[in-house]
Amino acid sequence: MTTPQYDAIFQKVEVLLKEYAPQPVPIQEDTELINDLGFDSLRVMEMLEEVEDAFDITYPLNDLSNLRTVKDFISQIQHIIEKS
Amino acid sequence: MGLLDKLEAIATTRKTLLPPGVDPFNVVLEEIHSSTEATINGQRVILAGTNNYLGLTFDQECIDAGKEALSKEGTGTTGSRMANGTFHGHRDLEKELALFYGCSNAIVFSTGFVTNLGVISTLAGPDDVIVLDADSHASIYDACRMSGAEMIRFRHNNTVDLEKKLKRLGSRTAKALIIVEGIYSMLGDCAPLAEIANLKRKYGAWLMVDEAHSMGVLGDHGRGMAEAAGVEQDVDFIVGTFSKSLGSIGGYCVSNHPELDLVRYITRSYVFTASPSPSTIATVRKALQVIQNKPQLRSKLWENAELLYQGLKKFGFELGPDPSPIVAIRVPTKEDTLFAWKSLLDQGIYVNLVFPPAAPAGMSLLRCSISAAHTVEQIDYILKVFSEMRQGPFQINA
Repeated sequence: MTTPQYDAIFQKVEVLLKEYAPQPVPIQEDTELINDLGFDSLRVMEMLEEVEDAFDITYPLNDLSNLRTVKDFISQIQHIIEKS
Repeated sequence: MGLLDKLEAIATTRKTLLPPGVDPFNVVLEEIHSSTEATINGQRVILAGTNNYLGLTFDQECIDAGKEALSKEGTGTTGSRMANGTFHGHRDLEKELALFYGCSNAIVFSTGFVTNLGVISTLAGPDDVIVLDADSHASIYDACRMSGAEMIRFRHNNTVDLEKKLKRLGSRTAKALIIVEGIYSMLGDCAPLAEIANLKRKYGAWLMVDEAHSMGVLGDHGRGMAEAAGVEQDVDFIVGTFSKSLGSIGGYCVSNHPELDLVRYITRSYVFTASPSPSTIATVRKALQVIQNKPQLRSKLWENAELLYQGLKKFGFELGPDPSPIVAIRVPTKEDTLFAWKSLLDQGIYVNLVFPPAAPAGMSLLRCSISAAHTVEQIDYILKVFSEMRQGPFQINA
């Protein structure tokens, strides 16, 4: 069950992921950033900078170790927004 | 999946990308003739990628000091200072570094890499925050991970982004350590340190500057970027290396915070590794004197850097933003970069081949580092070869 905030974040992130993902695959919650979208470490960093600007948040690099799917990513962003 | 399967990708890349018989990342210098010339693949080449900024690896005074220490004190220390004791040279070098920087405290480490690993991972802990420049050296990234601190990255040299990040931290800036480098190792660009120091003061954070590539290179006395920017009093910790301008190996941290001296008791890369050998310490101590007594070396380094940078720029190569002893030429593809690197070597010039992620923003680079010991004739020859490459059948896109 998602929340309106979660859905709003998803929509924004989807746009950015499409822009930065090396592999043009449909973006769903269980899409994996590395295995499906083909992100490498440099590309992830570029995309993260845009995400930080889009949501006016700071994404700690420590969170990257727990990041696998799009759902993980949205949840992390939501958590950061709620905390700030 | 076996333990070694993960290395298959590396093997494939090496096989497809690298030409047979030459591995740019494992070049063997068969004979070293001077600080600027060696024999590689049986051919005498100009070394233009060794970070030997002042050419001190062959300074006679440094060599003599090393020889004397080798004869008097032996080949090594065979252990850490914690276990085996501190040789007088370690202690004297720490005093001399502190004096050089006008700081109360200094610690010497076995390499620059382990200096960062040790100092950063000890100073910052799980309740702290590290705010680091995106283009920071691998040792800084690794140290930040080891520390367990929250890691926040700001866009390279972008003080607007840095300020955003400091502002978002609120009162946590009191436990936040900003880490930047004086000169960045890949593109040779300088940190906007005066602005960064302003932000450090404004938000009450801490500041560390890695002067690995700027010590001996910048500042009226060669103390680095902090001296050049006039903000030494704002820098809480300076870290650096002996393996570039000082022509040896090792690293150091200096600070006016007396607590730095406590770091040596708990820093694993100090406690559990062998200390620098007596001859290493002796050459560093002498080199530290040389850079203070011979400012003309720094002037010559910058003359040479300008000559190479402006010459390459004239030919239309895409370079780093400003003249610097590190002159990096951007090449569009890995294949072109490798081809150009091999062509240069075949014509007697050794530079560094840099592929992403070692280079920022996915770039591939031909990275030159210039030395005060390079002659004008050597630089003219380097420029001539680059010029021919630019005009010949192979053209590096600018």
